[in-house]
Amino acid sequence: MAKSADLDFLRQVSLFRDIADSERQAIWSRLEERRLRRGEALFRERDAGTEMFFIHTGMVIVSKFVAGRVEQVLARLGPGDFFGEMSLFDGQPRSATIQAETDTVLYWLDRANLEELIKENPRAATAFFKQLVQVFIKRLRDSSDLVAEVTRWGLEATGLNVDQHPGVGGH
Amino acid sequence: MSTTGTEKPKRAKIELLVRSEAGDDFQVTKVESSLAYRQARPQRIPDGQIEVAEMRSNVRRSTTYMVKNRVTEKYIELSEPEYFLWNQMNGRTSVEELAVAYVLKFGAFDFDIIHALIDKLQRAELLTMRPISRLRAMLAANRKNPAARAAEATLKALDRLTVGSRTAHDAFTRVYRYGAFLIFTPVGLALLALVTLLGFKGTREIWQDSSDLYAGFGEHPVIALLLVKVFFFLTLILHQMLHALALVHYGRRVKEFGFTMLHGFLPTFYADVTDVFMGSRRARIVTGISGPMVHLFLGSLYIYLASQCGPGLLKSFLVASAILQSQSLFFSLYPFCFLEMDGYHVLVDWLGLPRLKSESIAFVNGGLWRRLRAGGRFTREEVVFVGYVALSITSIAAFVGLNVWFFVHTT
Repeated sequence: MAKSADLDFLRQVSLFRDIADSERQAIWSRLEERRLRRGEALFRERDAGTEMFFIHTGMVIVSKFVAGRVEQVLARLGPGDFFGEMSLFDGQPRSATIQAETDTVLYWLDRANLEELIKENPRAATAFFKQLVQVFIKRLRDSSDLVAEVTRWGLEATGLNVDQHPGVGGH
Repeated sequence: MSTTGTEKPKRAKIELLVRSEAGDDFQVTKVESSLAYRQARPQRIPDGQIEVAEMRSNVRRSTTYMVKNRVTEKYIELSEPEYFLWNQMNGRTSVEELAVAYVLKFGAFDFDIIHALIDKLQRAELLTMRPISRLRAMLAANRKNPAARAAEATLKALDRLTVGSRTAHDAFTRVYRYGAFLIFTPVGLALLALVTLLGFKGTREIWQDSSDLYAGFGEHPVIALLLVKVFFFLTLILHQMLHALALVHYGRRVKEFGFTMLHGFLPTFYADVTDVFMGSRRARIVTGISGPMVHLFLGSLYIYLASQCGPGLLKSFLVASAILQSQSLFFSLYPFCFLEMDGYHVLVDWLGLPRLKSESIAFVNGGLWRRLRAGGRFTREEVVFVGYVALSITSIAAFVGLNVWFFVHTT
């Protein structure tokens, strides 16, 4: 696909923050574009797939199945954010559904291109993985907060007042 | 998410994505926990698993309901509004609709009662009928102090002396069937009346010739009195057995019978008669006073037999035992001494104020002076609270005074 390099966009993506423009240029050449209309699903939870995506413009919703037609919104991602890296590395089915909340432009990178990038630009690959670890840590922390918040929601929603009687009650 | 100090956190929210029927469209909505709570549809356990007993309060002119879970054998007391809400909890009525029903019934909106009731019902599984000792709480709070630690360890060790049987009901049922049922018939009542009359007669005779009653104890009166105490202690088992048999008489279950160290240091037998809550008021009163009747019977019998004996060890022993039994009868039945003995339970049942002691103390400690300053007439309930505390303090003062007087005049 012939396209002009959008280095400003790559600078915005945290994974490519610490690499040189020449290396960004090399990465850009390996990215493929994908456009989503508002409401369109990119993939659903449990779908197969080995690509990771970078959001150029627009907004997507990350959600996980709860019951029936209901899913829990885990996150909203916008320009500069990325997703899909889990399946890129472990080859397992998608862990969540991605759906465009607005018209969205994405760029994607598959495993073969990533492996070539590592082989040809090891310094850029190191910077890429270093940033990836940072993002993973942040997401882990966000997940812990989400678990705590959902637990609190459950307690409040069921009226269970745990802070008044933390142990065995007496009469 | 965290909060600091006493700041109350905002209600938690979760964000849900709800798809259309066709699945090609969706809506994202934020759901606050309070909304979910309002829309929850609580459901009480099946009717077959519940037993309800009505308890009328003569003071409050209101009714409370004792609800028993037949499966877990847990009890919970519900006020009239709570019982109304409980009956609405059919799994189809949301908490919001419960609130509306409550307003229509009682003319006032009180969302807290619903919240508190649900909380209470959820926690019913955690309720135990075993009181938490304040002494234990105090010792636990002072574990840095070696003396408190030692006392706590001692109490824990004494706790292990508890011996109880949860299958005692069958034994009591057999005892009842093979003769003990007579106690609860006119024959049993007549026998008690006869022995009591004989006891009065014996008391009069002993009173007229009260010289050297304890001379029979000879040179070792202290050891002799200790033996009297030990003998008396063994009769306490009869007291508890009578409670248990009364329970069987009214078709209720004896949940446990055994021996324990009350508050960690007072050896005593016990019968768990909590199932009597599900019986009639008559059943509760008879069960309550049946234990003390043992002391009336034995005390009367002892004093009558003593009156028939000549001076000597046996007479002294019987007189001392009779005095102990009569004291026990008094303390078991007298309700005004801050102790929750049988008489207290009968009183609170009659008044319909199950937390009479704690509520009375709380009122006198907290609200009484404000109430006096504010003026106006006291409610019946407040009069009962003040009366209970005043009578209890007076009784204890009189008891202490009497003992001091007795000590001074006999030494």
